[in-house]
Parts: sequence; structure tokens; C-alpha cells
Amino acid sequence: MTHVSIQSLTKTYPGSSEPSLDNLSLEIASGELAALLGPSGCGKTTTMKMIAGLLEPTSGDVTFDGRSVLRDKPEHRGVVMVFQNYLLFPYMSVAENVGFGLKMRKVNKVEIDNRVNDMLALVKLPGLGKRKPSELSGGQQQRVALARALIVQPKVLLLDEPLSNLDAHLRFEMRDLIRSLQQEMGITTLFVTHDQEEAVVLADKVALILDGRMKQYDSPDVFYKRPVDKATARFFGGQNFLNGNATNGQFKTSFGVLDLPIDCRRGTGTLTFRPENICVTGKTTETNTINAQLVEKIYLGTQTRLKLAVGTEFIHAVVNPAEVENLEQGQRVNIAIPPESLWVLTS
Amino acid sequence: MSDRIRIVVLLFPAMLIIVVLFFGGLVVGLMRSFNYMPVIGLTEPNLQAYWSVFTDQEFFLSFLLTFHIAFTSTVISSVLAIGAALLLRRRFVGRALVNFLFQLNLTVPHLVGAIGILYLFSQSGSFARLAAEWGMIAGPADFPELIFDPYAIGIIIQYVWKEIPFIGLIVLANMQSIGEDYESVARSLGATRWQAFRYVLLPLLLPGVLSASVMVFAFTFGAYEIPALLGANFPAALPVLAYRKYTDVDLAARPEAMAMAIVIALLSAVMIVIYLRYSRRRIRD
Repeated sequence: MTHVSIQSLTKTYPGSSEPSLDNLSLEIASGELAALLGPSGCGKTTTMKMIAGLLEPTSGDVTFDGRSVLRDKPEHRGVVMVFQNYLLFPYMSVAENVGFGLKMRKVNKVEIDNRVNDMLALVKLPGLGKRKPSELSGGQQQRVALARALIVQPKVLLLDEPLSNLDAHLRFEMRDLIRSLQQEMGITTLFVTHDQEEAVVLADKVALILDGRMKQYDSPDVFYKRPVDKATARFFGGQNFLNGNATNGQFKTSFGVLDLPIDCRRGTGTLTFRPENICVTGKTTETNTINAQLVEKIYLGTQTRLKLAVGTEFIHAVVNPAEVENLEQGQRVNIAIPPESLWVLTS
Repeated sequence: MSDRIRIVVLLFPAMLIIVVLFFGGLVVGLMRSFNYMPVIGLTEPNLQAYWSVFTDQEFFLSFLLTFHIAFTSTVISSVLAIGAALLLRRRFVGRALVNFLFQLNLTVPHLVGAIGILYLFSQSGSFARLAAEWGMIAGPADFPELIFDPYAIGIIIQYVWKEIPFIGLIVLANMQSIGEDYESVARSLGATRWQAFRYVLLPLLLPGVLSASVMVFAFTFGAYEIPALLGANFPAALPVLAYRKYTDVDLAARPEAMAMAIVIALLSAVMIVIYLRYSRRRIRD
């Protein structure tokens, strides 16, 4: 079990004036599964390569249990990286691929064979050792790549977009497998993804990186309830942003006053709340009830999206289709926003 | 006109040249190698020319020399070309210039290169004079015999000089399409830089390296002009020996020249097959 600390890590590629990764700091506790989340090109893979020793940082440090590993060669760091496109060695059999790390460590052949068989059973691919990677499905190739990484019992496991090349069904299966193996073996794991749902479901903690800078590093639910800024809220599907002023536990908007939770910041800012926290209600007695006009209603099968106009502002809601079955466009409706779902962002 | 007919019509001129010149020449050569040459009264085919070739000690020595030239040139060129490609794929200041210089001699004909080698490496050449001038040797004649020598060093230098960029460019293109991620995976799995090269990159490069080196081997095994210019008189490389027989004033030597040419082609093919099998097994083990 290894505690990973990334301190002010920065990477500027030669010939580039802008850093690809700017001053990233985060702590990953022993045995934790953390996610680096962000759009393509935001520096996620660069971060992983620097942790693995495949790329030299421009500045900053990476420590494992308090010891800097920057001077350690990749093969001595105890970090294994699983790439997005698996990169199984095409001329080797599945068993040879899985046993590659042990062969490089000069483990004897009998032990390699035994451990390869155990590992293939663990990733639910028993008996496929003699096949070539080209004879496997995408999901099977992913399992082989995972087995090849886990067999060397790394201190730190890095997964680059582990589920992005899989179809929906395999994603669920693979997600569960990664989570269960990681917990079973207790390996400190960092994975990168551009899919916020994937990060939320799989990770203990998520680091959101936008434009090469880390915006927020928190447990997944905090990103929905307490995003640090508008960009973070937007990345996690936030759509409602109202400018105004927070004083005495209330937020003054252009159309009225809304009660805030106790721990909200004060002063001028932007009020945000999740579309799925809005209730369509017939009553006017509930806290933070607003009368709005239905502008747009889109049925999405398991949910219905509503666009509501309140004065000059628009509010977006996601509700149960049954609740709004009889609502029609242009109709006026009361909506309630529970105070605990409100959060004030800096302007 | 249907597509099929159009294709046949378009291909006809090229096919005609291939069939007439290549297969026509091959058939004529085969007939003569079997001692069938009605123009000088040889009308009964037999294996006499082949028998003469295989029982001739000069042929055997020539074969060994030719194999040595082709094998050594190919191996040295391939190894140096891979090394050069490994350097050229890195980013460094002046890479474009180095890349240009690396490819420059591809445009220089073999004959021009051979004359250059002659001027530089012969006992009356520039290096011999410089060595004598600097007191490294008593006189130019003491310079090691690198041209017209029994080990064909001058020929090998010429081939290596000419073939490194040829193989190197193929390998470099191959490396660039493979990328560096496979090696990164290997490194993170515990492979040293050498192990990542030996067990991962080299097997991935194998198809490109083999096809380029087979071309070099076949060319150097069958080429005439460089051994003729830079080689010793005895033993001579097989193509030189075959040409001498072919141009012999005695027309009766011509079937032997043809048998030799056929044997060169067959040996070349056999050795390429052996080389391919052996290299594949060695690199992938």
C-alpha cells in the first residue's frame, strides 16, 4: 500500500509556451482509487506518464510514502500504466503478454506459468493463455492488459481511459472488475477519464483538470453539491446559474429571494443548483417556491427535461415524466428548490 | 468495353515486357544451362554445365566470398541502420539537417560511391597518404589492404555506406508508425531500456527490417559492378565469375555461365528463406 503525493507538478513541452499541466498537487491515500477527470488534451495522460517515469516533469515532485521517485527509472518505480488502447504485444500469446513483467524480472518459468494461470483466472479468462491478442474481443484484451499490470504487484496502478474503448455492456462489467480487483489487492490506483459518470461511479476521489489546471479534488458527491466554480459545475452537468448577492442566509436574484443553506458563502456571486433537485409542485407554501412559465418540455424516456422562464432568467429542471405528464408548453407552474441544494459560486 | 477487358488491355504492355524479357531470358538461360545451344551444335540437353560448376573449386570459393560479402554487408547495414533510426526518431536540435545528410547518399550511384571508396581506402588513396603523412605508417604501401583484398573489405564498406540509409529509412518509418507507447508499457512493466528494445521494439520492427535486409542481401549477392571494381581477382564474386565465363572467347563456356547464373538465383532464394526463418526465430525467442 503506497501513499502517492503529487506536488506542484508542471509540464511544458519543448517548443510550447503554455504548460500542458500547470502546478498540479494532489494526495492519493494508500489503497485509494482516484480519478483524473477532464476533457481531451487537458494534461491527464501527461500526468500519468510523469508519475510512471515515462516523462520528465518541468518542475514539481512525485513522492511515494514520502520519498521522491523522480530519480527512479520507470522500471524501478513500481508503477504500472495500462494504456487506453491496451497495447498488448501482438506477436506474443496472451500468457506471454501477462507474464512479460515477470520475465523481465527473471522469475523462473514454472513460477511465471503458475502466476499467469492464477491471474488469468482472476480476470475471468481461464484457458485463453495460448491465444494471440488479435483473437480476443476488446473486453478480453482489456482484461489481459489489466492482468499483465496486476501480476507484477505494482505499488501504484495507472489506468488511462480504461473503459473508453468498450461498449456499454462491457463497461459495466469492466468497471465492477476494476473496482473489485483494486479493493481486493489494495493497490493505490489513479485512472484518467473524460467521462464524469465513469469517474463518479469508480473513484473514491476525483481531481477535475481543465486547461491544464486542477479545479477541484474531492469525493464525487461534492462536485455535484459544492462545485468550486461555474466551469466545474458545468462539467458535471450544471445548467442553472443565477447572478445575485448572498446576505443573511438569503440570495437576492432578479426575480426574488431564495433561502440558502447555513454553510453558503456570502457576497456577490452566482447561485447554482442541480436540475434534478427541482420539484414541480402545486403548492406555494414550500420554501423557495417560484412561479415559472414552461418554455420547453423534452421527454427522454426515463426523465423529462423542462426549461422554465422566471422573469428574464431561465431555469432548467429534470423531473420524473409522470410528474409533468399533464403540463403543457406556455402553462404556469410552481417549482420548489430545496435550500440544501443551493450553492453560491464566486463570480 | 467491360472492366475486365480494360484491365487486361492496360496491363498488356507491362506484362509483355515482363514475360518477354524476364521469363524469355529465364527460359533461354535455362536451356543454355542444360547445354542446349543449337547455334554451336549443342542439341542434346544434359547436366554437364551444372556438373562442371559444382566440381569447380573456384566456384566454391567464389560462393563463399559472395555469401560473406552479402551476409556481412546486410548484417552490418541492418544493425547500424536500426541504431541510426533509434537516434533519428529522437527530438534534437539540427535533426532535420542530420536527417537530410543521412539520406543524401541514396541519390549517389553505386559506381560513384565505389570510386569514392577507391580514392579513400586504397593503398594509394587519401587515408593511406594521410596515415603516412602523420607518421602512423612508414609509407602509403603499408596501409592495410582494404581494396582488391581477399576479405572484400572495400566491397563491404561500399555496400554498408550505401545500404544504411536504405534500411534506416524503412526502419525509421516503421518506428514512427509503431510509436513509443509499446516501449513505455514494457518499461512500466519492469523492462530496462535494452529489454524494451530487445523484447518489444525489435520484434515489432521485424517485418520492416527483414524485408529491407532481404532486398539488400539479394542485391549484394547478385550485384556485379562493385565486386568487379573493388574486388580481388581470385576468388572473384559469383556474378563476376559468371560474367567472365559468359564473355569467354570460347562459346562452349557459355552453358557453364548460364548454369552459374541459375545457381546464383537459386542459392540467393534458398539463403533468403533460411535467413528469414532464422531471424524470425532468433528475434522472437
